[in-house]
Amino acid sequence: MKKRHTPHLIGLVLIAFFAVFPVFYTGNDYSYIMHVFITAFFYAILASSWSMLAGYAGQFSFGHMAFMGLGAYTTGLFSHYLYLTPKPTNLCTEFAFGDGYLVIVDPVGVTSSTLAQDCLTKAMAIWGPGVEVTPMPIWIGIVLGTLMGGLFGLLIGLLVLRLRAAYLALFTLGFSEILRASISAEIKITRGQAGIELPHLFENGVTVFGHYFDKTDKIPPYYVMFGLLLACLAILAWLAKSKFGLFVRALREDEDAAAALGVNTTRYKVLVFVITSMMAAAAGAVQAHYIGIITPNNLIILQMSLVVAMAVIGGLESFVGAAIGAIAIEFILEMLRNSFQIGDLTIDMTIWRLVFFGVLLMLTLRFSRNGLITPLIDYFARAHVAQETVAKRKPSSAAEGVPK
Amino acid sequence: MIELSAKDLNKRFGGLHVLKDVSFEVRGPELIGLIGPNGAGKTTLTNVLDGAIKPNSGTVYLNGRRIDQLPPFEVAKAGLGRTFQVTRSFRRMTVLENLFVPAQAKGGRKSAAEILEKAMGVLEFLTIDHLRNEYARALSGGQQKLLELGRLLMLDPDVIILDEPFAGVHPRLMEIIYGYIRRVNEDGTAVIIISHQMDSIFSLCRRLLVLNYGDLIADSPPEEVRKDAAVIEAYLGTDDADDDASGVEHKTSS
Repeated sequence: MKKRHTPHLIGLVLIAFFAVFPVFYTGNDYSYIMHVFITAFFYAILASSWSMLAGYAGQFSFGHMAFMGLGAYTTGLFSHYLYLTPKPTNLCTEFAFGDGYLVIVDPVGVTSSTLAQDCLTKAMAIWGPGVEVTPMPIWIGIVLGTLMGGLFGLLIGLLVLRLRAAYLALFTLGFSEILRASISAEIKITRGQAGIELPHLFENGVTVFGHYFDKTDKIPPYYVMFGLLLACLAILAWLAKSKFGLFVRALREDEDAAAALGVNTTRYKVLVFVITSMMAAAAGAVQAHYIGIITPNNLIILQMSLVVAMAVIGGLESFVGAAIGAIAIEFILEMLRNSFQIGDLTIDMTIWRLVFFGVLLMLTLRFSRNGLITPLIDYFARAHVAQETVAKRKPSSAAEGVPK
Repeated sequence: MIELSAKDLNKRFGGLHVLKDVSFEVRGPELIGLIGPNGAGKTTLTNVLDGAIKPNSGTVYLNGRRIDQLPPFEVAKAGLGRTFQVTRSFRRMTVLENLFVPAQAKGGRKSAAEILEKAMGVLEFLTIDHLRNEYARALSGGQQKLLELGRLLMLDPDVIILDEPFAGVHPRLMEIIYGYIRRVNEDGTAVIIISHQMDSIFSLCRRLLVLNYGDLIADSPPEEVRKDAAVIEAYLGTDDADDDASGVEHKTSS
């Protein structure tokens, strides 16, 4: 096997490991470890898609968690406010839909479960038992959330066309904070800081290969998130290998030179925003259904910093490096949660682990600007280049003619 | 036949009138020098021609198609390629990837294998084929200039504008660039060279455009430009006109 294929082999081994891990792992902390993995995959999607946006295309956006939040809130609001009923409520806004009615529940804010009642709750009280109200399918919410991420990605992509470097970062940071503040402020619809509760990914449980999994079981969401990560990585790999990857890297290097060579920089700049925003939104939508609640705190700048740091430590210019970095960092941060004692001194690692993380980020930026994983990939993938350069060197000769 | 036509081009930056009613035509595979003192408007004219800057007034046509309002990528696809005064290679991309960018951006039905074959031919022609998988940032300044010229070849343009192609280049690489310009021109591409190196310009070009603070003060063969009083006054200075004019003769004859 050639040295340059080593990263592919390691990648396949890692995929196989993650694919069979839930089946073979039997530790007492099974649910906890599964949860850490699901969260790690979630961050891996965010870090790898952000590496395509910032590392490949050079668009240093700090709005990635906002797109994640858009996906989560879209599916959250969709599942919170839309229902199918067999008969009209005559209280809600509703439309005939198939054999029944599509009901839009009126927003009543955070008091809906105690003081005020929404129109559907009132209607159900009037109907009594026996009338089945059907929530909307979760997958539609996830698809809508993904599309909403793409729509806002398009909008932001168009708005930042002329912005570069720090201006782009500040603009997207502003967008992210405006979105978070709006969600916090619009208590009646979004329930503000209380957040929106969402149905689980498999609210009624699921049976796979004859085995029934409860809605709180970790295995189904593990494979859903892992599948989404693999799908995102496959799309990113395809994009990176195609002319899309070539052009976005060219516009990262020099936008004017790329345009002078025929690259429609506007199109690819907007496209990279749309695609990566959709990935972040999809991850956010799935994660929100897995956790069961989404709050504005999920969009805070600290969360964005975490994604940036994961991508930087893994390797900004390789989405694979960013994904591996995210998984590794998530695990390290979890392992560092345990406090320990030195004599009478208790070291509270819930706080100090972030210091460790910050120091690791600073050291990476200082000594390995392309992260810790990407240089390893490059070591194997580009091992042949130096030999090839030396072997092919020959005395320069006068040109024979221009190739056509 | 190639036809580039610029008519009454004006460009102002605030109170600065950088191009003043500049008009010229390129018919066929000409080899033209564009000269002028610093601040004359040479690079601005290039930016207007390639679509990076929109003129305040005037038109540019390339092969019958109006291009002055097109974005740069459309102008490049229409057949006008340019290099930059300061080399702008894609430093964190390999030499081959640098060449693939214009080839793929141009579109068409060429397969990756065909593009690779052509790219290898271009690199051999420029004597940097052994560096094909190196990152562009690993190349010397001169090699990066060659790479920039190679990218233009991959675009197959009808007209190319080379902004200071000889600046800071080793004599050996200069020979390669000379060979490049002559060969590209012989193969039917119109070439416009912007340079302060008079000996190179006078030995290569058969026609010179002289800009002076936005005015096109001469559009003539080199031998006429050498004797043009307006050029000598504007470009070389009135006081030392005689000395400098002879200097030009000296450089050209060397």
